[in-house]
Amino acid sequence: MEVQKEAQRIMTLSVWKMYHSRMQRGGLRLHRSLQLSLVMRSARELYLSAKVEALEPEVSLPPACPSDPRLHPPREVESTVETATADGEQPSPEPMDTQEAPTAEEIPAYSAPRPAKVSRKRRSSSLRDGGDAGLVPSKKARLEEKEEEEGLSSEVADRLQPPPAQAEGAFPNLARVLQRRFSGLLNCSPAAPPTAPPACEAKPACRPADSMLNVLVRTVVAF
Amino acid sequence: MKCFSRYLPYIFRPANTILSSSCHTEANVLPSGLLPSGQNKLGPWCSPTGSPAPLSCETGCGEGSWILVCRLLVPTQVSLLSMEEDIDTRKINNSFLRDHSYATEADIISTVEFNHTGELLATGDKGGRVVIFQREQESKNQIHRRGEYNVYSTFQSHEPEFDYLKSLEIEEKINKIRWLPQQNAAYFLLSTNDKTVKLWKVSERDKRPEGYNLKDEEGRLRDPATITTLRVPVLRPMDLMVEATPRRVFANAHTYHINSISVNSDYETYMSADDLRINLWNFEITNQSFNIVDIKPANMEELTEVITAAEFHPHHCNTFVYSSSKGTIRLCDMRASALCDRHTKFFEEPEDPSNRSFFSEIISSISDVKFSHSGRYIMTRDYLTVKVWDLNMENRPIETYQVHDYLRSKLCSLYENDCIFDKFECVWNGSDSVIMTGSYNNFFRMFDRNTKRDVTLEASRENSKPRAILKPRKVCVGGKRRKDEISVDSLDFSKKILHTAWHPSENIIAVAATNNLYIFQDKVN
Repeated sequence: MEVQKEAQRIMTLSVWKMYHSRMQRGGLRLHRSLQLSLVMRSARELYLSAKVEALEPEVSLPPACPSDPRLHPPREVESTVETATADGEQPSPEPMDTQEAPTAEEIPAYSAPRPAKVSRKRRSSSLRDGGDAGLVPSKKARLEEKEEEEGLSSEVADRLQPPPAQAEGAFPNLARVLQRRFSGLLNCSPAAPPTAPPACEAKPACRPADSMLNVLVRTVVAF
Repeated sequence: MKCFSRYLPYIFRPANTILSSSCHTEANVLPSGLLPSGQNKLGPWCSPTGSPAPLSCETGCGEGSWILVCRLLVPTQVSLLSMEEDIDTRKINNSFLRDHSYATEADIISTVEFNHTGELLATGDKGGRVVIFQREQESKNQIHRRGEYNVYSTFQSHEPEFDYLKSLEIEEKINKIRWLPQQNAAYFLLSTNDKTVKLWKVSERDKRPEGYNLKDEEGRLRDPATITTLRVPVLRPMDLMVEATPRRVFANAHTYHINSISVNSDYETYMSADDLRINLWNFEITNQSFNIVDIKPANMEELTEVITAAEFHPHHCNTFVYSSSKGTIRLCDMRASALCDRHTKFFEEPEDPSNRSFFSEIISSISDVKFSHSGRYIMTRDYLTVKVWDLNMENRPIETYQVHDYLRSKLCSLYENDCIFDKFECVWNGSDSVIMTGSYNNFFRMFDRNTKRDVTLEASRENSKPRAILKPRKVCVGGKRRKDEISVDSLDFSKKILHTAWHPSENIIAVAATNNLYIFQDKVN
């Protein structure tokens, strides 16, 4: 639990630093941003693996624990984002795919070594098919929470969208990717009717931050 | 030897204007540091005033003691001090909208470099200025003043720019200065900010023509009707003037931020390296450069490492090395192909799994790489260590020195306060027997490669009393702190020594601590 909290704190800190590095004189520093994204990635892996360890002894129990919904939504969001942007992006295999695969393999529930993209899709579909609706809080519920939250997610989304031209010249992909992904997140329609969030409600800051951070990790590496 | 400190208030004038006057000569300085007949007092630059008396300190490096030669302040502070003297000076200073805090930020020294003889020492700062110091000449009656450096020239090298196309501000901070070897009476140096490299010529003038026919003494045109006789202009001696002129501007070749420049041993070419590319320039050609290394991936999402430093081999003009953010060094031979994406040698040390931590990737990033003077070794600096590599052995360094290993457990806090991203430099001494690098709390470390002894010294004026022996400093890591030790938690992380330089042949070092430049000398000398 401590590990999770620490990892989350570092993730949030990294996002904050990355956001503020855009405001610095001289523009975005590629090396600094790369290092921040590396830390964020490590923090995320640590966070997820710590969650998996917490999940393991409870895998047979009914999923009342908040760790479940937290575990699944990141994958779901990524898959949604993936499909939303698949047509826009180059079809070349993204490095995040191969990085997802080891994380997937860590989870005993999904231990079959399948191609990353396929495994992601299968995971989300298996969730939809097999699990309770309560396992997977809908995207809409999550998005509503995120919009309520006054924290960095909406702020960052707002501020990152207006000046695409700012990032355009130096890192042409960043602006496009950020725009697409944020608009994808905010505009995509919910797949399932809104369901009541699980009993042990995570702090509003946590779950939206998860999806936000996942997306941000990808997009930071993108530029 | 004249003192050039009086022209420091004129630093904001265009670079190619005359920059000098003299406020005193050696002969007329009284022991109290004042000039006779109540003339203006010496500026703090001038060695008889202000700087502490020589200190001696012990080192473990087997080279004797280190003395503080002088501590030099940045120009802005000096001009503030001299404001009461001169109305003109005050006008010039007040005409710029710098408040104290901004001036302090701009005065932070960002690079230090001796020239090839060690006679000149150049510093660049965040405000885009270059200040060159010249060594005091030896004189029989002033033996104790030998080795001191006084200001020789100051000029504004780079100005802040705005890239309208990308809506990005380009910082004027001088990232690197590199001297060219001297080939005539003038001195040449390269200075670079994030995007533009400039070649500056620094030359002296001690004669001026007098007796023009069409101009009078102030340079105003004379009415031809008033000219009755003709004369031949003659060259008359004048006060020594040092002028700096930009001779070449190498611009628009880098998309990313330039982190290194290196002059080739052929003295005709040099390279500039940014995060993803290295370009080769000819000094005579400013509108073209060859791209010799390009590690930009086709898909930027696949980016995993960037170039952090690059340097040419000191003797082989076809060889250079560049370091990466992953802790690897690549040696390339330009004879192999035009684009040196394939390295000739690849230096990497396998990571110690016991040291693996959350921030391993960040602290393994190499911040500086330097060839030894012999050309046989390279030295690399990452966040916690300095490593010496033999060019003939690629799989591991031959020597590893822990600079401040006590920080290994503090990486998380250092990440929070951004100190983990600090880029420390490292230097060799002239004989490649001692290496030096900086640390926090204004500490800097020297490692003797032969005796395997090391020492930690501090560049600070608080702890230096006149004639006191400056002891080597020690950081206490355990629970029990001895009397002179400083505990890790009391280290001041805002005082960091990132830039140091070592005289090419003598034991004189220059240490930049924020906006102060300390010059230390080996007492044996």
